[in-house]
Amino acid sequence: MLPEPYQRAVIAIVVAVVLCLPVFSGDYFLHLMNLSLIAVIGAIGINLLTGYCGQLSLGQASFMAIGAFSTAILAQRYGMPFFVAIPASCCAGAAVGFLVGLPALRFRGIYLAITTLAMHYAIIYVLTNYQAIVGPSASAGITVPPPSIEGFKLTSERGWYYALLIAAAAVLMFSLNLARSYIGRAWVAIRDRDIAAETAGVNVPRYKLLAFTISAALAALAGSLGAYFTTVVTVEEYTLELAIIYLAMIIVGGMGSVVGSVFGAVFITLLPFAVQRAFDALPWHFGTGIFGVQEAAIGAAIIGFLLLEPDGLIEIYRRIATYFERWPFRYREIKPSGAR
Amino acid sequence: MELLVSILALGSTYALLAAGIVIIYKASRVINFAHGELAIVGAYVFHSAGFLTGTTLTALSLFTAIVVAATASALFGVVIYFALMRRLLGRPTFVAAMVTIGLAIILKAAIVVIWNSRSVGIPIGRQALYNFAGGGRISWIDVISVLTCAAAFAALAIFFQLTRLGRQFRGAAENPLLAAQRQVNINLILAIAWSVAVFSAALAGVLFGSRSMLSPQSTIIGLSGLTAALVGGLDSLRGAAIGGLLVAAATYLTARLISPTLAETVPFLILLIVMSWRPWGLFGTVEEINRV
Amino acid sequence: MYNVRGIGTAFVVLAAACAATVGARAQDYKIGYITDLSGPLAGSYTPTWQGFELYIKALNGRGGVNGRKVNVTIDDDGLRADRAVAAAKKQVESNEVLGIFGLSLSSTQAPVIAEMQKVGVPVASTFSAILDALPPAKPDYFSTGVTFEVAGEAIGTLQKRIVPSGKVVGITFDSVGGRAANNHNKLAVEKEGYTWDEVLFPVRTADFTPFAQTAAAMKPAMIVGHYGAEQNIGVIAALRGAGYAGPYIIAAYGASEDTARQAAAQAGSGENIYMVSRYAVPTDNAPGMSDLAAAAKKYGIANPTSMHVTGWVLGMFAEQALKNCGAECTREGLDKAMQSVKLDTKGLTGGPIEMSADNHYGPTYWRLYHWETDKFVGVGDWLKKTGLEFPAK
Repeated sequence: MLPEPYQRAVIAIVVAVVLCLPVFSGDYFLHLMNLSLIAVIGAIGINLLTGYCGQLSLGQASFMAIGAFSTAILAQRYGMPFFVAIPASCCAGAAVGFLVGLPALRFRGIYLAITTLAMHYAIIYVLTNYQAIVGPSASAGITVPPPSIEGFKLTSERGWYYALLIAAAAVLMFSLNLARSYIGRAWVAIRDRDIAAETAGVNVPRYKLLAFTISAALAALAGSLGAYFTTVVTVEEYTLELAIIYLAMIIVGGMGSVVGSVFGAVFITLLPFAVQRAFDALPWHFGTGIFGVQEAAIGAAIIGFLLLEPDGLIEIYRRIATYFERWPFRYREIKPSGAR
Repeated sequence: MELLVSILALGSTYALLAAGIVIIYKASRVINFAHGELAIVGAYVFHSAGFLTGTTLTALSLFTAIVVAATASALFGVVIYFALMRRLLGRPTFVAAMVTIGLAIILKAAIVVIWNSRSVGIPIGRQALYNFAGGGRISWIDVISVLTCAAAFAALAIFFQLTRLGRQFRGAAENPLLAAQRQVNINLILAIAWSVAVFSAALAGVLFGSRSMLSPQSTIIGLSGLTAALVGGLDSLRGAAIGGLLVAAATYLTARLISPTLAETVPFLILLIVMSWRPWGLFGTVEEINRV
Repeated sequence: MYNVRGIGTAFVVLAAACAATVGARAQDYKIGYITDLSGPLAGSYTPTWQGFELYIKALNGRGGVNGRKVNVTIDDDGLRADRAVAAAKKQVESNEVLGIFGLSLSSTQAPVIAEMQKVGVPVASTFSAILDALPPAKPDYFSTGVTFEVAGEAIGTLQKRIVPSGKVVGITFDSVGGRAANNHNKLAVEKEGYTWDEVLFPVRTADFTPFAQTAAAMKPAMIVGHYGAEQNIGVIAALRGAGYAGPYIIAAYGASEDTARQAAAQAGSGENIYMVSRYAVPTDNAPGMSDLAAAAKKYGIANPTSMHVTGWVLGMFAEQALKNCGAECTREGLDKAMQSVKLDTKGLTGGPIEMSADNHYGPTYWRLYHWETDKFVGVGDWLKKTGLEFPAK
């Protein structure tokens, strides 16, 4: 899988940096990293559905909300430990994903997107009613206790970083394997030409539903982890804008690439903060309207990448990687067996 | 009766929004997700131009506002085309649709940066024209809305049916390369399409702001316009009109008769029903739904 | 080939920029302010921040407090809880703030408060507040703002001054806060002998006509609107269009004279518009208002509204807290100091703001205003509320 020694060295360096990051960074940076890691899980989910399988879905935010609320209810009301609440939330997400996926069998493209949008509103409506009626303090949301085992509570940024790293790595491995398996290939076939895929023997309805189910389960996982991380769940967080931000993540990162989702998630999560840092560093004092520029930055990122680099950050990465791979040659040697 | 007037007034605004989306789709097969934002930004420009020199709208300031908003929106449409959309010719239309989403985000942020998120109303035509016995009334603005939209639709219909340029629209949409080789000026057509679309959006925005109000959150009307366009058929002007009225009627009747809180979801349900029955919209061209 | 002068200039500018960013001197008090400056409610929260900023600028112009100037770091949360929490962490860590002020809608506040309690940083919110500030108060959280529940009750009691009996219709968002406000409003008016009905509309509504018509069809004696500033413009216009000419009460969660003026223009008439607010309006001519007007004029805020007053009052609170905290102020010290604030707001609120160890909200004073042509005029005196009358849940 990794023939070249230098490739192994690069991987080793990356892993070392990622693992040792907390040593060099303060709480704030780690907090941003944690947010990015949660986003990575969600981004991989939507990439499997939209990037690999080609099903345009705007329901990401509602799936995350299902995960978050399931966790909140199980952890706070029923006192379930996290190793019960999190898988249960994923199952809840999967179930809802399955239901939302049913119309997918009929619609494509924009029509499918609108369908998922309708489902999003329906789900949020239900959750709003729930929070208003059942929640302890209506406007402040439902509090979620931090995940704990035997009295050890996960509350520090550092602890969360490693926990989320493990979760994200697991999801990454799972999705990479899924993408390479026959399921992933079926999805790509459906994305490219679903009628042809059906002719070739792919059971299109089954794989479409599978895509929705798995994607929603991952989104629910992200929502669930987010609920534990922020310790409060409010339905106002899960808006249509959030779904669009996740789409932005996979556009920027590279649709149809699991690793690209990682790049995109980190990029989009950190972008507003980077923009703000840039403005803080300038000596002039702007009015408060300048904060709108942070919002605009995501739109600009979408447009910029689509116009200039439609295959996303992953493509930039690939180009750099192949450049170094071949350097100082300009072409790759062709091995006798034809393998790369 | 009051209900009917309200539905007509709101429906005509939605129909106008839908028409703008249809024009762009007819010309380029691109679905414009930024239409709501274009409408509201156009209305804000109108408001600023009108209130530039005072705190009330005089005839002169109204005239200025109309001229400024009209030219600005038409020009902006051309700018959008040449700066953004032109580079996406030949790519899947899905990409262009995503770019419009990006544009929508930027426009919404522009309202924050330029106008400081201040909510405003456009106080035109708020005087009562006719008072109902039960208490409601028809204001001048309701009538103006309906008449303006009707006029706009008539103009568009004439353009598409009777002018040579209008007939070239569909050719350009179906196969830009072939049409270009037949001396159809693709750039001209698409630029006109965007210009007219943004102008109609601004017009719809101003009418909407006069009946209701403007804020960064009002851009949600774009979604209603899109739903109306989908219901009616993305390439049918007639469908846009009917779709607009249907969506308005659905929202109203749900809010009044069933439950106000469901008013937001019902238009989507209507859409789902229509799409299950006729996926290409009520009046759209029957074709394979293979667009992503 | 290279423009040496250009590059040289760029370097100099960059160096100057770096030097300029080292703005806060070591002995300044550092505090942070986080609110929604670009999101859905920026229209209300921005003037609140401007009011706070005005007060701090005026304060620094007077030499600061305890001989030290106050340095405020401002961050935007876009009405999203995750951004609010991230901003809070940044302010605590990078900007080393003693306390955080402002905040935005209640739904974003709870996570921030939870995080700040972990590190012992006191938080003082304005405009929006959550029940955690009421007794038994949670630590490290104070508020000079408006809670939906208390506001609903206050409005319910004040409504008596307009029409003594009949049916009251409450219109609100279908959101958690809106429902809470409606609920408490309902409990309060039903106690006074009114009947109650309500209309809820989806949060993202742009056209209010059907909801207004539904409300008008209920033939109410009074209508109350519980939502942010902007919806009032559309709702009032729609209500008048639907034929309801009776009293309409703006529940001031961010509304101001600008709102009423726009609404009056949009509706065609400014008759029968009322507002219930915790803060005085500029035309009340409270003694504190002249300070605010002077500062506004000096620092370039054109037309201060009651939203600016809201932020200004928080500024007064901050000053007294810092003063009580002393020259060597720590976070714990600031927390203790906030608990002992007894602030005379010079008429900007109906009575003093009084905090205690157990009560981080204090008694609140509410006033009913009537819109007359171009300004709000008070109807009767301020109503004092010392907490919730009806149980929260």
